[in-house]
Amino acid sequence: MTVPRGVWAATPAIKGPIKIGYQAITSGTLAGYGEFHKYGVDMAVEEINAAGGIAGQKVEVEFRDSTTKGDTAIENCRYFVDSWGADFLAGIDSSGQALAIAPVIERLDRVIIITHAATEKLTEEMVFKKGIRQIFRISTPTYQDGHAAAFLAKDLTAVKWSTVSPKYEYGFTCWKMFQDTLGKLKPGVSFVAESFAPFGTTDFRSHINTILDANPDGLYSTEWAGELITFVKQAKEAGLFEKIKHVMFPVGAAMDVLEGLGKEMPDNIWISGRYFFLYPNNKTNNEWVARFRKRWNHYPAYVSETGYSSIYAFKAAVEKAGSKETKAVIQALEGMEMDSPAGRRVFRKEDHQAIYDVPWGKTITDPKYPFKVMGEQKVIPAKEFFNRPPFEGAGTSPPF
Amino acid sequence: MGRERQLVQSVVHVCLAGLSAGMFIWLVASGLTLIFGVLGVLNFAHGSFYMLGAYFCFTVLRHLGENFWIGLLLGPLFVCATGLVVERFFLRRVYPLALPYQLLLTFAFVLIFDNLVKIAWGGGSLSPPSMDLFGGSIPIAGRKFPVYNLFIIAVGPLVAIGLWLMLERTWWGRIIRAASSDREMASALGVRVPALFTGVFVFGSWLGAVGGGLAVPYVGLLTPGMGDTIIIEAFIVAVIGGLGSLKGAFSAALIIGVLSAFGTRYFPAFDMFLIFILMAAVLLWRPQGLFGEAR
Repeated sequence: MTVPRGVWAATPAIKGPIKIGYQAITSGTLAGYGEFHKYGVDMAVEEINAAGGIAGQKVEVEFRDSTTKGDTAIENCRYFVDSWGADFLAGIDSSGQALAIAPVIERLDRVIIITHAATEKLTEEMVFKKGIRQIFRISTPTYQDGHAAAFLAKDLTAVKWSTVSPKYEYGFTCWKMFQDTLGKLKPGVSFVAESFAPFGTTDFRSHINTILDANPDGLYSTEWAGELITFVKQAKEAGLFEKIKHVMFPVGAAMDVLEGLGKEMPDNIWISGRYFFLYPNNKTNNEWVARFRKRWNHYPAYVSETGYSSIYAFKAAVEKAGSKETKAVIQALEGMEMDSPAGRRVFRKEDHQAIYDVPWGKTITDPKYPFKVMGEQKVIPAKEFFNRPPFEGAGTSPPF
Repeated sequence: MGRERQLVQSVVHVCLAGLSAGMFIWLVASGLTLIFGVLGVLNFAHGSFYMLGAYFCFTVLRHLGENFWIGLLLGPLFVCATGLVVERFFLRRVYPLALPYQLLLTFAFVLIFDNLVKIAWGGGSLSPPSMDLFGGSIPIAGRKFPVYNLFIIAVGPLVAIGLWLMLERTWWGRIIRAASSDREMASALGVRVPALFTGVFVFGSWLGAVGGGLAVPYVGLLTPGMGDTIIIEAFIVAVIGGLGSLKGAFSAALIIGVLSAFGTRYFPAFDMFLIFILMAAVLLWRPQGLFGEAR
């Protein structure tokens, strides 16, 4: 008997290449973010292709500038799927964009893994309530910035809290989450001043005056990227860190901020992010950080890690499903566990949010690094504070 | 602390913040206004000169040590060369064309410069080390205020006086005023108008670049798109003051700086809104701006 050949040969279940359309900000004041994403994504593609690809097929990534506008993000998604033939999508920095593309993703019927946009509404409203099952998020949502900060703040001696935060959805939501949660965890705290700075603020001096006027003992600020750098410098000039002892920056552990401020970041500031390169202190992460530094001569930013891991998540899901069809891959991703530099991640079935731990820590000077790092790391397990949406039923309602 | 003292402290510091913000914008708006007043060109790329001024100043600092004043002196000179090329080889060709052509051309330069900066310095933001200029901060009314910002508050009026003296009291100033009010006549009287225009444009670019250099310690951050936000504010200042009027731009910058500082502190819900209300009110009352001449 002869072996069937030609058209009779077993056709592979997955026909390559596996095409992933990735978008992040590569222009304007936040252009650095796109570069950080790209480092992680490129590294994952190089590694995966060198090791034989995804299910034997080569991975191809096309990278596009998302700017910060919703319609550009939508346009990119359409281009990736309709013109370029993407199997999967990933990326997105801004919450507004994430919400804007949700209905488009449903129509295009491709899985997208969000790697930065943090709005909890994406997973709670779009995925859980509206049932747009094509959306997954591998990075932490606003729960990390709002709830976790409050869990930490309840053990601090500060009782009068204030904020300087960005004047848009993200800044408002995080501050509200922080107030609601801390208010429940520690009755008696008060929130004495708030000042919201429009996007692109380069002069925080009036905002700083608002805070100093209220004489608080705690400051919570979700300023991020370059604006956080500017804010810290100007707050330092005004003597704010001498007057306020308890300061929390939920996105302060971003590499652009830490490297940008260098020694000028004050000590004893609580910082966190979506991932920090010194956590978890295990073989997988340490080796990855070493490889990353060798490849790019940089420490990995958090979006480098989430970008990197998003490509590996597609690999794991496609190989688990034995297919790259949207439906099969969604099924594979739901509840999927994966190891990553950031530790073990589980994609929660109900809202497609990846559950994983990111530490909070206090800034310290470490002679090994030219910038401040997280000392006194405090890990609040994600499953304890990632808002539990109603799907977990009675008896599981959160204590906050 | 008594409530009254607290209020005084607050008001004093909001005023200081407003004054320094206003004078900072004036430094950028002065070059924009001068170029419009003399050449009649609405130069979108002025924000790019500001950005380039900051980047060149930063680079000089990095290579020639930490002396900020040397950076501020040398950095903007590179931008003068850029301004010269832009005027001599590009802008000059569109003077006879309608305003939209000038806008498009200068806008194209904004995009080009933004990308050149990304190529040369990288897409991320650059954070210059804080410089201990004038000894940091001093206590004013019970709160710290950086001496550098007091310096900005002082530099603004000095630039205004300098420009006024130059335009009103020097031979060059008379020639510039003559050429700006009647090109043909000035040219018939033997003024080399094209060369004069190049000179004014380069000088205006230098003013923008000095603003950028001063921004290095003031803002504390350099980003590839940093010129785009400042150009809008500078345009608002120029329009409220009356396009082409230096006196107008100076007053408008002062008003806007202080008004937005008070807005941010005492009426946070309306902070940007106040500026636009002011702009709308001024333009309804005096369409030519505060000190503009009706055309």
